[in-house]
Amino acid sequence: MHRGELLAVVGENGAGKSSLMNVLYGLYQPDAGVLSLDGQPVRFKSPRDAIARGIGMVHQHFMLVPTLSVAENVVLGREPTRHGLLDLERAVREVSATCARFGFQLEPRARVDTLSVGSQQKVEIVKALHRGAQVLILDEPTAVLTPQESDELARVMRGLVAQGHTVVLISHKLKEVLGVADRIAVMRRGRCVAEVRAADTTAEQLAALMVGEGPRAPAAAAPASAVSQAPGEPLLDVRGLQATGDNGRPALRGVDLEVRAGEIVGIAGVDGNGQRELAEVLTGLRSLTSGSGTLLGGPLGGLTPAQARTRGVGHIPEDRHHRAVVKALSVEENVALGRHTRPPFAKGPWIDFKGRRERTRALTVAYDVRPPDPEVALRALSGGNQQKVVVARELDARPRLLVVVQPTRGLDVGAVAQVHAKLREARDQGTGVLLVSLDLEEVLALSDRVYVFFEGRVTGHFPRHAFDERELGRRMLGTLEPGHA
Amino acid sequence: MPERVRQLLPSVLSVLLALGVCWVLIALTLEPGTATDAYLQMLWGGIGNWPAYLDGAAATVITRPLGESAMKAALLTLTGLSVAVAFKVGLFNIGAQGQMLLGALAAAVVGAQVSLPGALHVPAALLGAALAGAAWAGIAGLLRIYRGVHEVISTIMLNWVALSLVDNWLVVGPLRGAAEGGQSITGTAEIQATAVLPRLLGEGSRLNLGFPLALVAALAVWVWLTRTRSGFETRAVGLGAEAARAAGIPVARRMGLAMALAGAMAGLAGAVLVLGTEGRYPGTLGAPYGFDGIAIALIGNNHPLGATVSALFFGVLRAGGTRMQLLGVHKSFPELIQGLALLFVAGRMVWLAVLRRRSVAPAASAEVPRA
Repeated sequence: MHRGELLAVVGENGAGKSSLMNVLYGLYQPDAGVLSLDGQPVRFKSPRDAIARGIGMVHQHFMLVPTLSVAENVVLGREPTRHGLLDLERAVREVSATCARFGFQLEPRARVDTLSVGSQQKVEIVKALHRGAQVLILDEPTAVLTPQESDELARVMRGLVAQGHTVVLISHKLKEVLGVADRIAVMRRGRCVAEVRAADTTAEQLAALMVGEGPRAPAAAAPASAVSQAPGEPLLDVRGLQATGDNGRPALRGVDLEVRAGEIVGIAGVDGNGQRELAEVLTGLRSLTSGSGTLLGGPLGGLTPAQARTRGVGHIPEDRHHRAVVKALSVEENVALGRHTRPPFAKGPWIDFKGRRERTRALTVAYDVRPPDPEVALRALSGGNQQKVVVARELDARPRLLVVVQPTRGLDVGAVAQVHAKLREARDQGTGVLLVSLDLEEVLALSDRVYVFFEGRVTGHFPRHAFDERELGRRMLGTLEPGHA
Repeated sequence: MPERVRQLLPSVLSVLLALGVCWVLIALTLEPGTATDAYLQMLWGGIGNWPAYLDGAAATVITRPLGESAMKAALLTLTGLSVAVAFKVGLFNIGAQGQMLLGALAAAVVGAQVSLPGALHVPAALLGAALAGAAWAGIAGLLRIYRGVHEVISTIMLNWVALSLVDNWLVVGPLRGAAEGGQSITGTAEIQATAVLPRLLGEGSRLNLGFPLALVAALAVWVWLTRTRSGFETRAVGLGAEAARAAGIPVARRMGLAMALAGAMAGLAGAVLVLGTEGRYPGTLGAPYGFDGIAIALIGNNHPLGATVSALFFGVLRAGGTRMQLLGVHKSFPELIQGLALLFVAGRMVWLAVLRRRSVAPAASAEVPRA
């Protein structure tokens, strides 16, 4: 790569993008091969070496201390001191200067956990720049951002490149990569299979390079019809739903909505407008503070996660590592999680090892989980394959209502298509799907109806034929009075 | 190298390293020959003096040391299980000592105050001890579940409460045994003959029913954790509580029950001590087997069977350690070995890193910069 260039690295999940970047950043040691910087071979034993040589990395999962301020996070590890004591004032001044130099608007004294995801990411970037990073590696930076924040990030990246920095962007959002990168390297199964100039290629060509010859069965399967048959019986009906968020403030302020059998209902909105809390209430993970609702024939109030599952609620949560899987357990144990009390996973009080193994084998084949080994620890799988395990488990339970949050976050093109196809398939079989996604394109592509959330309220309700991206965008940003289109 | 073997290595290497360090220490303070002799004495004192037996000595040169080892191993197994079970649900039970005291007291009371036929008396005393230990651990469990009190803090404090309650008050006060034949005694009244754990290798050896009981308990815990639904739920809670909650697993109940089971194991240790060896709750119980359980569990990688193996090993060492004194070596060396092994096991990640580096070393050395 060259100085002052924006290189994008694209590839499917498990193609080796993150591993490569971790080698660059000194987290992994190369088994063989030479890494050169400015024409000299270098060996990074740890990220400390990499930072010293001007390499900075922004991880997909932020590495920030939530309870510390922006300035404290930025200087962490090389805090300015005076007489051996921490000089916080100087830290604030220095960080302000760095922000100003690169055109970031951040309040150095703000606590990180009060910031939006987009701002937290800026803190990460500032942290790397503050340490003198000349080469900045961004791992899936837009996976968590809203469209507006992504545009902002693109401007930031171009700005850095204009100042002579080198930016490496790891992504599989092809459109975005095409819009911002100078050069694109395509990786597949641990090899760099192509390098193209962004100006000379198209999304289709890139996708073909990423997937390689021979499309895979699940992705190539004929997509289910985009528009479903008439929706069936109501599965979920809530009125005036209110709930409190983790920060103690009201997150849902009176939500009315309905989901029927055989339809996909999308929830569109900018991150942090109550979508997450809605999903938690419906799966029994958060209690409601007021309002009423009927969920699969029972009351919504006082619902426990176990009751939700017995009634037939499936859940693909947003926070996979934390909530969907136990990474230290094996793939088959994760497949059993939540259904471990029922056949084929249990026989009376005992685990049914044989039944569990057979079911897991079948699912790993059907969902193309790689490696297809039920015994391997889940943490050994790539993120995309972990998500496939989650989707396989939840759909295999044949839920009547499926609550899905950010199901394709961080997945590659093939896996996204597969997950989408599976969701449509479930819908066509009569499952009601509630889809929460920050990716508006995803919501519009899948949903039969869309509710727009803003500040814990429904600010718009669109049936499929009335989808209007501009109108939705305005309602997502709260620039219109609540109303129904 | 298979993953299971790799998991074992840090413990095995730590124990070997601890043995080596102590050998050097003895060799430096005395003589190298003495150190080796002392280790041999420790071995014969632990597993029986087989050379002497084969030379025609009485069978007691085998059975007596085995009895001592088994007695200690049984207690270490049970307290080790106590700590390991709590670990599996994600809790650190420092309170096995206090739970053991309560169990010992319950066993002493049931053994002395209740009259039952022989076949029922021992089970009743064991059950009483298990329940007492479970209740004591349950306090810490409930505090954690409902008030968020960290179990490390509460179990440490409950150890002191147990010590004050049992040793310093009940045993010297209300529950003190009546004077026999004009002699006042310390501790509670002697347990009835029906409550004594039967000895298995004759009167010359203190090996009693407590030893097989501990092994069965370990096996049962292992089967429960690996083969049953509720054991699976317990492990899932320990490895990812939030994911377990989202999967509909009753996290609080699993934590509470695992903590109670941990307490029951420690309580059983107290019962084995009282019913098998002491015959009453003595003036002061003293023996810190509950604290040893932490080391036993950690060296055993918090695995029920691993803890059992580590308890057997250190049981042998402890029992044999007394024989080291014949050579002028202090009898605390077995405990020193245990402590050092724990220290080294705590560096588990270092061990794994060292092992990993060794396995990739050839590849790395092949690309040393040539320029």
